[in-house]
Amino acid sequence: MRIFHKTNFNFIRYRKIAYGFSLILLFAGLVSLAVKGLNYGIDFRGGSEVVIRFEKNVDVSTVRAVLQEAGVSGTLKQYGMDRSFLLSTVFKGDTGALKTLVSNALTSRIAGNHHEIVRIDAVGPSIASDLKWSAVKALLGSLLAILLYVGFRFEIKFATAGVIAIFHDILTVLGLFSILGGLFDFMPLEMDQSIIAAFLTIAGYSITDTVVVYDRIRERIRGQKPSEYERIFNESMNQTLSRTIITSGTVLLSVFVLFIFAGPAIRGFAFAVFTGILIGTYSSIFVAAPLVYDWLRLSKSTVRLRGSKSV
Amino acid sequence: MIPGFLVFGPFTTASCCNCRLLVNHYPILYIGSIISFERKAMPSMKNKRFNLLLIAVVTIVALWSLWPTWRDYSLSKQLETIHSAPDSLKYALTHRDEIENARKKSLKLGLDLKGGMHLVMEVDQVDLFEQKAWNKDGKFTAIMNTVRAKAAQSDARVIDLIAAEFKNENIRLSRYFYDIRNTDKEIVAKLEKESVDALTRAKEIIRNRIDQYGVAEPVITTQGSRKIIIELPGVSDESRVRNLLKGTAKLEFRLLREPEVLLRTLDRINSYLVENNAVAPNAKAADSSVALPVTATQGKSSSAKPLYDVIGVYQNGMAFTTEHSKEYVVSLLHRSDIQALLPPDGELVLSAKPDVDKNGEKLYPIYLVRKTPELTGGVITEAKATFGSQGVQPEVLMTMNSEGTSKWARITGANIGKRIAIVLDGAVYSAPVVQSKIPGGNSVINGISSLEEAKDLEIVLKAGALPAPVRIVEERSVGPSLGADYIRAGMLSLSWAFCAVSVFMLVYYKKAGIAADIALVLNILIVLSVLAGFNASLSLPGIAGIVLTIGMAVDANVLIYERIREELAEGKSVATAVTQGYERAFSSIFDSHVTTLSAAFLLYTYGIGPIQGFAVTLMIGTSASLFTAIVVTREIFQGLLAKKLLTDKSFG
Repeated sequence: MRIFHKTNFNFIRYRKIAYGFSLILLFAGLVSLAVKGLNYGIDFRGGSEVVIRFEKNVDVSTVRAVLQEAGVSGTLKQYGMDRSFLLSTVFKGDTGALKTLVSNALTSRIAGNHHEIVRIDAVGPSIASDLKWSAVKALLGSLLAILLYVGFRFEIKFATAGVIAIFHDILTVLGLFSILGGLFDFMPLEMDQSIIAAFLTIAGYSITDTVVVYDRIRERIRGQKPSEYERIFNESMNQTLSRTIITSGTVLLSVFVLFIFAGPAIRGFAFAVFTGILIGTYSSIFVAAPLVYDWLRLSKSTVRLRGSKSV
Repeated sequence: MIPGFLVFGPFTTASCCNCRLLVNHYPILYIGSIISFERKAMPSMKNKRFNLLLIAVVTIVALWSLWPTWRDYSLSKQLETIHSAPDSLKYALTHRDEIENARKKSLKLGLDLKGGMHLVMEVDQVDLFEQKAWNKDGKFTAIMNTVRAKAAQSDARVIDLIAAEFKNENIRLSRYFYDIRNTDKEIVAKLEKESVDALTRAKEIIRNRIDQYGVAEPVITTQGSRKIIIELPGVSDESRVRNLLKGTAKLEFRLLREPEVLLRTLDRINSYLVENNAVAPNAKAADSSVALPVTATQGKSSSAKPLYDVIGVYQNGMAFTTEHSKEYVVSLLHRSDIQALLPPDGELVLSAKPDVDKNGEKLYPIYLVRKTPELTGGVITEAKATFGSQGVQPEVLMTMNSEGTSKWARITGANIGKRIAIVLDGAVYSAPVVQSKIPGGNSVINGISSLEEAKDLEIVLKAGALPAPVRIVEERSVGPSLGADYIRAGMLSLSWAFCAVSVFMLVYYKKAGIAADIALVLNILIVLSVLAGFNASLSLPGIAGIVLTIGMAVDANVLIYERIREELAEGKSVATAVTQGYERAFSSIFDSHVTTLSAAFLLYTYGIGPIQGFAVTLMIGTSASLFTAIVVTREIFQGLLAKKLLTDKSFG
């Protein structure tokens, strides 16, 4: 079986359309980030979350009214599982009091429908700020590591374009999180630690597709004149198109399975990785390689690449 | 290429998983194999044999390392099938060693899958350093309060905050800490050492408490300069554990001041509050809920006697506050301007437990005690929870060491007829009148509401006092039913992802797909066996990592197969195409693995708890796929080629 056999797309000629598309995507995301902002989870904001599961169906407004009456502050939402609700409230050192308060109110007011408090998370403000810094450090660190490694294996222009593509991918996903955040009950899209894990996974994987294309360009560009670059870039991208899409496809397949089956705790993560890899695949063809091409064209120098040995 | 780079993936996993068993040497071994394979276009016979041997060893080690997990699973299944209790007990007893052994070496499940509690506690370093200071005055208290406020907002080291704040105020640290001749730098170093000691001590005391409470396989570690991470799998009574952990267990015996002094002090505070026009915020609540006797204003303007709106006084000179006003009273007593109004060696302390009056109202007695304790909990050697003489009130009997015994005898002998308060963590448990001299070093804590609480007190008293207060800054607890859900969801995702990806490989690459699928199975086995072998636990994010690995592991095969197809299309023979396909696809495979690994490594370094679990499985899976997807499939192809079973149709 073969998909994308012997294609002959002129990616380089139409690159400006892709640039435009990417800029619109990024712009929309940035506008939403500036206007609407992000929906921070308790990891980064601090606070307490209680997941309550009932035996039988119960209306969210009923539970909300009962809790309000009992003097529980905070918001109550449907949680991604059956008959489950998520109560978010401020951080208090003693979650025991909160649990008792909630439990007593529900037992007495919604009798005959047994409930269980299945999860409590509480994150204090000092931890939240710790986590925020760690996330920033991990992200910047991985971008730097990738920049250095690709710079060492290929050339700094390739590395820079690759990292720009990663920025493009992560910013787009961040923008999507801002735009779609809070719209769906089954997928609140809150920024928490798992989303940072998703970003790092995207960063590591986005460069994978890019490297496959780069590798082919490196193999073919040796000793060629700059006037031939457009042809070589196009041919390399067409030749690797099939593998770029299939490698992403297998990962998308497994992430999609995660999204469907792994439950609400993983759903935001799976969504981030799924969109991230989708965009990462697009960006390695339409952003990273074309940027290298433009850079080489403008600098008017022949490329000197390290590491290519065979052929 | 830089082979050294690759080692860090598996290697760091090894060093951070607290490895007790060193079973998995292969991650380092197979790198050697890959390098050699890259150098030579056609593997020599010797090399081939080495690879085959390596595959066999890895498979056997992986299966061996997972064997206890399988035994554990099948044994517990077996136990479930035996319905009668005596039979199942008999089975458990006869197979006891086997069951215990299997359980000990089996793949551990993380807190989220098993149910349990993850707690992060922070040692109050500001309090610790305050204890170390002497000559404390108003200026010092003010500075420390600023530090306290700043420390709550940032994760900077408390000692640095203190040093900076003193520098701002142009005061040398030696004015309050250690010797006057010490430089600031020396004092900072000393205090830093104190804080490290305190953290270690606090960790040990908490471990003691947990061990005595009885939790299977608790994990207690420290993080940074002031955090203790506590993982308690399978804990069902969270609130009890929480209470057990958060108390400092600072026990003090303090003399009570005379009732007249208490009344005078309260009057002084009241007039001070009148002068400053203070209004008690929940005065209304106090008024409406209980009629305060004697001196209390009967619902008159609350500003006339602000203190007596929230504090009532009995004729016998005892003071108390109501449940509603308790919080306000406590905050009032903590104010430094109020504390200045107290007698020099006095402190106002609330009772730990309320007295219930005839209307069912809960009233908390307030005591004026001496600031300097007569005796502290350090002298307690033994504690025992029991029922009191009437047989209904739980109490804790304490025994003291010889030094404590003689001191206690002297103190009780000198204060017959006076009251001594037993203060635990800043709250009075009881304040009995000393009837006679106590020579035997015994004392009792009563005023405890349940036997369970008495037992917990026994535990904390035995374990000793924490060097400084600790507080819970993060808590994540998962109930066992949700854990079971997570396991189901995780297994469902694993099997679906495996099916989807392996079927895709079969359909798309035909016979070559089989090789990739075999490699995939081995890859999953390796990930699980490394986790089991290094005693790391599998969490839900960890399973997500494996699912992601399934998708990524076949990438190497895709790159190789696509390349082989290309070579075949150029009219090369199958043997040449296979050899060149592997060779030419290698550099992109290697580069992409290094980038994924470095991202996962950083995630491991900067992430915490659950996220680390994800990073670990991703790292193991990605490194293992270099071996499975390249070496294993290649050997399969070589075997098939030798038997002439591989044609150009075999790659789809």
